Amino acid sequence: MSQKLILSIVTPEKQLVAEEVDQVNAPGSEGDLGILYDHAPILTNLRSGQLSYEKDGETIALVVSGGYLEVSENRVTVLAETGEFLHEIDRERAERAHAEAEKLLLTDLSEEEFVEAQKKLFRAIARLENLSNN
Amino acid sequence: MPNLKEIKRRIQSVKNTQQITKAMKLVAASKLRKAQHAILEARPYAIKMMDVLNHLSARCNSDLHPLLDVREGNKHLFLLITSDKGLCGGFNGSLIRKMSQHLKDNPQNENSLIVAGKKGNDIFRNRPVTVTEEIIGWTKDFDYLKAQAIGENLSTLFTEKKVDKIFMIYNEFKSVMQQEVVVEQLLPVVPENLTHKEDTFAVDYIYEPDEESILDDLLKRYMTVEVYRAFLESSASEHGARMTAMDSASRNAGEMIDGLTLTYNKARQAYITKELIEIVNGAEALKG
Repeated sequence: MSQKLILSIVTPEKQLVAEEVDQVNAPGSEGDLGILYDHAPILTNLRSGQLSYEKDGETIALVVSGGYLEVSENRVTVLAETGEFLHEIDRERAERAHAEAEKLLLTDLSEEEFVEAQKKLFRAIARLENLSNN
Repeated sequence: MPNLKEIKRRIQSVKNTQQITKAMKLVAASKLRKAQHAILEARPYAIKMMDVLNHLSARCNSDLHPLLDVREGNKHLFLLITSDKGLCGGFNGSLIRKMSQHLKDNPQNENSLIVAGKKGNDIFRNRPVTVTEEIIGWTKDFDYLKAQAIGENLSTLFTEKKVDKIFMIYNEFKSVMQQEVVVEQLLPVVPENLTHKEDTFAVDYIYEPDEESILDDLLKRYMTVEVYRAFLESSASEHGARMTAMDSASRNAGEMIDGLTLTYNKARQAYITKELIEIVNGAEALKG
């Protein structure tokens, strides 16, 4: 098993992952991606959703939102705006954020504020969905 | 003979000062821990982002995006990041020296400054150089949003061709004891690995959704991240510098107190001796 991908996931707050893995599944802006060894070089935007990677038969999942993914020479670099391991998500907080975002969207907002609120909502939905699936 | 009361008063005053410097050192240390944590966590992101951007811009034409536009003009803008508060050793001094030196060495350029921090503004307000913007009080609450605003402002100045090059001058955090003044070109973005340009051209990259929109998005974020990082570096450096400065100040005060105490004791001894002599002499005189 020498054919490993080098995965690093970083957010502005901290480096989440720096490991050798077998497979990465990511939510690309144009559709989900499964990345294996010798993947063609690619650069894509990410949407909010679940990103998972497989390592020695074990699958570890995170919820990420926004950012980029680059694959080049078997290095996978994920620059996410936010990222949380699935087991670290606090359901109550996620639900609260969801409710807040929904309420915010109903108020009078400028275009930029609207986009921000929308992002927040997507993030909250992504968190909750992934929680109920597991 | 030195006045005993006078010395005692001076010892007390130095002790008070020492108490203040000690307290400031402790405060700086706890703030440093926070700032150091922030910068160490933010660095990998900035570095990775730079990598991705380098890869991408090396493969793209420089006329693909206005922020990559290399112009010959001599209108240079500097973002100088100083602190709001003093008592942090050579932190601001070395920054200002570097900046002044740079201005002196390049008189042919049309230089302008954006100065962050009260200390830098106090100095450059009275110098013959254009300060286009003053950012005061940033050390209190700096966050990602503020960095974004500054980044956007700089991008606009650049794309509207008001300036041709933008540099940042700030203290980079090396370690608690060590800061280094760095001058970094922010715009236009110059890809580092231009030498490999032809190799990387050969690789067919897949872009989703497409090259231009990713580049645009990436460059916007790059500005924010770089500005954010520079301010975090600066903040960690400031607390480090203050801690070191206050530590040596406390030590100096300690030495001073030791010296003064010695003088005090000597004076006291001399005083007692003198009194004894007087008493003995008095007794002798009575006997006689």
